[in-house]
Amino acid sequence: MPATYGLIDGNSFYCSAERAFAPGLRRVPLIVLSNNDGCAIARSAEAKALGVRMGDPWHLIRHRPGMDSVHWQSSNYPLYADMSRRFYQVVAGMVPRVEPYSIDEFFLDLDLPGDLHALCTALRAEVLRVAKIPTCLGWGPTKTIAKLANHLAKRHPELGGLCDLRSPELRAAWYARLSVGEVWGIGGRTAEKLRRLGVGTIADFVALDARDARDLLTVVGARVQLELRGVSCLPLAMMAAPRQGAAVTRSFGRPVTRWAEMREAVAAFAHRAAEKLRAEGLVAGHLTVFLHTNPHNGDPWHSGQRAARIEPTADSGALIGEALRLLRSLWQPGYRYAKAGVMLNDLRPEAGQPRMLFPTRDPVRSARVMAAMDAVNARHSAGTLRPLATGLARPWAARAARLSPRYTTRLEEILVARAW
Amino acid sequence: MASNSGKGGADYDGGRTTGFASPAGDAIEGPIDLGEVLDLRRPHRYPVRVLGDALRERGIHPGDILIADAAAPPADGRVCIAMVHGDVWVCQIAYKRGQWWLRPASGAREPLPVVAEDDIEVWAVVAALVRTEV
Repeated sequence: MPATYGLIDGNSFYCSAERAFAPGLRRVPLIVLSNNDGCAIARSAEAKALGVRMGDPWHLIRHRPGMDSVHWQSSNYPLYADMSRRFYQVVAGMVPRVEPYSIDEFFLDLDLPGDLHALCTALRAEVLRVAKIPTCLGWGPTKTIAKLANHLAKRHPELGGLCDLRSPELRAAWYARLSVGEVWGIGGRTAEKLRRLGVGTIADFVALDARDARDLLTVVGARVQLELRGVSCLPLAMMAAPRQGAAVTRSFGRPVTRWAEMREAVAAFAHRAAEKLRAEGLVAGHLTVFLHTNPHNGDPWHSGQRAARIEPTADSGALIGEALRLLRSLWQPGYRYAKAGVMLNDLRPEAGQPRMLFPTRDPVRSARVMAAMDAVNARHSAGTLRPLATGLARPWAARAARLSPRYTTRLEEILVARAW
Repeated sequence: MASNSGKGGADYDGGRTTGFASPAGDAIEGPIDLGEVLDLRRPHRYPVRVLGDALRERGIHPGDILIADAAAPPADGRVCIAMVHGDVWVCQIAYKRGQWWLRPASGAREPLPVVAEDDIEVWAVVAALVRTEV
């Protein structure tokens, strides 16, 4: 195991990706809203200073004083994915072993010769210059400590975006000042439970007897404690674990009250989930469909969910058929539905599937039709060719009223520069 | 059964033939990949579309696609993408009197010093140009 782990992450990553191409957004408080233009999921430093919190519903906070200066954008995931790729490539070009932990966070093996502080300074500068993303970088003897160091680098601007927690003395000083709830892997409820037992700071938690920690918080808590003591328990995972399930769940742009619209939406979700499976050469043997209303806007609560085992497949037509069969039994007219979803589970590789005794589909034909559709969509754009059941006008689709261009993945939408 | 139909012949590459074996069967190279030529998979390469014809004398026309390189060091006389007061420009850069300047194509304008505090930044250096219609 490496002796030093690092964690580098993008500051307000989605906002920074928007600002990379829109210099006019650099000086204004900026937030990016979730799917359907609902809640704030990224906030620039200026927006945070105005009191916008993570997850705040924009339609509720927009009338608060000071909010007229806040500019919002719909979430542009094709752009964020491509900027994440650039960020990763820059990091991987300077550090040999990198774990992509989330779209904007990478764990690093910093067991490298030379001056670590100089390397980390250069890494931040290069990510900013090339991938246009400002970052913070923390490091220490374990992943949990690296995550804490990163958190400190972000919260204390005077640290210059870098925080080195390799020294046990320095760690002890911070541990005494920080609440145990700030530790990666200690959730709010666990922190509350610990606080009631008189364990408020990280120092209190680290000082607990190891057996008590395990009895209180199971092996997971015991591992967090060991990691905080500087004993590494979590190795670097260079690759994501194989996919366990494929879920496509969406809030609707407006309440859905008609069966025809619900049927279209669920068919579209099943088709999208099937595409995800095919991209990884998987088939699913289990399917779940759910729908529910939104009680927060005063509508009566109604929800339903059904699941079934299915003949393993990644065929869009077959999965749409199975999903609609379940949906029909869930559908109750008279409600204003706000959200629905399709989840595929029991995933396995398509290759090497045992032959069914009584197959209901020709797997060769199905694979060829799906491959043809996927090839057209890869070449032109997603959704160019799709099952008619997924709808044409899609009045239920999520709102995205302020979507920025896909600057780096669509030729028609690239950055425009005026000749001067 | 192999077939060449249905893909506009895209799966015939000059190698596998039905009658006489192709003498080129071991020498298939495929078409040139401009994405590779222009190095578009690297993290520092960004495509940018030109608006306006101020740089026509530099051979840069409206509608051209520039490949901007965010890792290339700026050099005197090169064309760059600059972020200026919230706008995106493509213009020439010059190094004079110990600092970088944005140099206007037209003599009617004054050069602008590249100073971060004035909200002027060189974002990338133009490395290549693509014109899809000549």
